[in-house]
Amino acid sequence: MNIRPGKEFLSQPYWRHLAEGTLHLNSCNDCGSSHHPPSPLCPKCHSFNTGWKPASGKGTLNSFSVIRHAVHPSLADKVPYIITLVDLEEGVRLVSGIPAGMDVDLEVGMPLECKVVKIDDEFALPYFVPVEND
Amino acid sequence: MKTSIIGIGQTEFSTHSGRSELQLALEAILSALKDAGLEVNDIDGLVRYTWDNTTEAAIVNALGLPRLKYYGETEFGGVNCCGAIAQASAAIEAGLASCVVFYRALNARSGVRFGRGERILVEEGEHVVCHQPEPPGDIYSAPFGLLVPGQHHALYAQSYKGHYGLSDDAFAHMLGSVAVTQRGYANNNPRALLRDKKMTMDDYRNARVISEPLRIFDYCLETDGAMAIVLVSRERARQMNVKAVDILAAEQYIHPGSVPMFLYAKKTYSLVPEEAGDILFGKAQMSPSDIDVAMIYDATSMMVPLALEDFGFIGRGEAHDFLTSGGNAIDGNLPINTHGGLLSEGYFHGLNTIAEGVRQLRGESPNQVDAETVFMTLRGASSMIMGRA
Ligand SMILES: [Zn+2]
Repeated sequence: MNIRPGKEFLSQPYWRHLAEGTLHLNSCNDCGSSHHPPSPLCPKCHSFNTGWKPASGKGTLNSFSVIRHAVHPSLADKVPYIITLVDLEEGVRLVSGIPAGMDVDLEVGMPLECKVVKIDDEFALPYFVPVEND
Repeated sequence: MKTSIIGIGQTEFSTHSGRSELQLALEAILSALKDAGLEVNDIDGLVRYTWDNTTEAAIVNALGLPRLKYYGETEFGGVNCCGAIAQASAAIEAGLASCVVFYRALNARSGVRFGRGERILVEEGEHVVCHQPEPPGDIYSAPFGLLVPGQHHALYAQSYKGHYGLSDDAFAHMLGSVAVTQRGYANNNPRALLRDKKMTMDDYRNARVISEPLRIFDYCLETDGAMAIVLVSRERARQMNVKAVDILAAEQYIHPGSVPMFLYAKKTYSLVPEEAGDILFGKAQMSPSDIDVAMIYDATSMMVPLALEDFGFIGRGEAHDFLTSGGNAIDGNLPINTHGGLLSEGYFHGLNTIAEGVRQLRGESPNQVDAETVFMTLRGASSMIMGRA
């Protein structure tokens, strides 16, 4: 059982773009800066002329936690799972996680890249995973 | 500030109060008035958290108050508990009210629990759904399983651990020094929920991990009960036959991303706007070295090292050495949370933390320090300095 935002949120651009497979960031059409969570006003230049642009998907790990205690019955069969804070190249932070079953060795400051994981037709999540070394 | 705390009152700390939050609030208010030597009708102002389930109207009606001239509300619960004191003080100094009660009542163990996801999630058909726009447990966090405040604290802890490159062992020693020292304080405190439970560093290290790197003993106690605090002007306090404690400075702050829960703040290993300490100590015309004892809102043990560094009691990255060498102990440089803290006394959303500061300055602490000044903070969202009258 997955936890998801209510329908009133899933119809908004952030979640619609994810459901279509890409992470987009709320961004200012005047000064170009990106923001998260989305807002009607650009906090840098105070323009209301904001829109959406695709994220590069590159970020670094700000922090993480391996959650061992399930705080809701729907998470009982999911623990342990990993939550993360990711600082994106665009200067915004996202809450994210590591997809279930992925074996990772995490360190604060390490580079990560976005992997959008589709849950169903209406809903997908922006996970961030360690950058693969070639 | 030119105000004083002249009364504190509370119910017992428990895990099952067996009574309504309104009744708990009223019991605490009457107890605080008795401590202050005042009558119910002396109250003309109330301050409450927006998160409290009891309302000004319910309190006024239940007390049969002839009038309430000022009522204030403050957001974000416990993190703003010094902000509530600032608000009560501002109302008194502005002449809006002469006697303000700040209270908090909660059945936080037997009722809705802050440590559980049920507070924010609902089942809709085959889905578990979040409708909450802001943290903790908002729509951007909940789908990843970030649901409760304690998990955010694990993120601050890991960020700090990573930033300063502390090993698992060194980090556990640092936080264990907070938890074990505070449990020792609680063992001397007849009010404390965990007064009879001893804890050693081995007990701490062997404890169950909840959210890495935090163990169960790093977390505060979900508690039932209520507390109330009575404030009047310093001038009026001096004319009364009470044990007053002066508010020397009280501040609240928000910086970008800081509330709720610091998810989007620039730094997550330091939880305060850069200038917060300077503003607070400047207003009290003091420096950190003038402080005799500190009360730090320990929703988790991690709040203690962060506050020590954020407010300049020690240098950045020095918390490990300070805490593992007993800096927070009764004979240390700065005894901290001498009631046992939210970790071991109980959790009245910070009001019991204020109350212990008051007790220290009145000479009534179970772990008494020769204290003339008390510092108190809530994760860089509000802070204050109290002084012996
Ligand atoms: Zn802009």
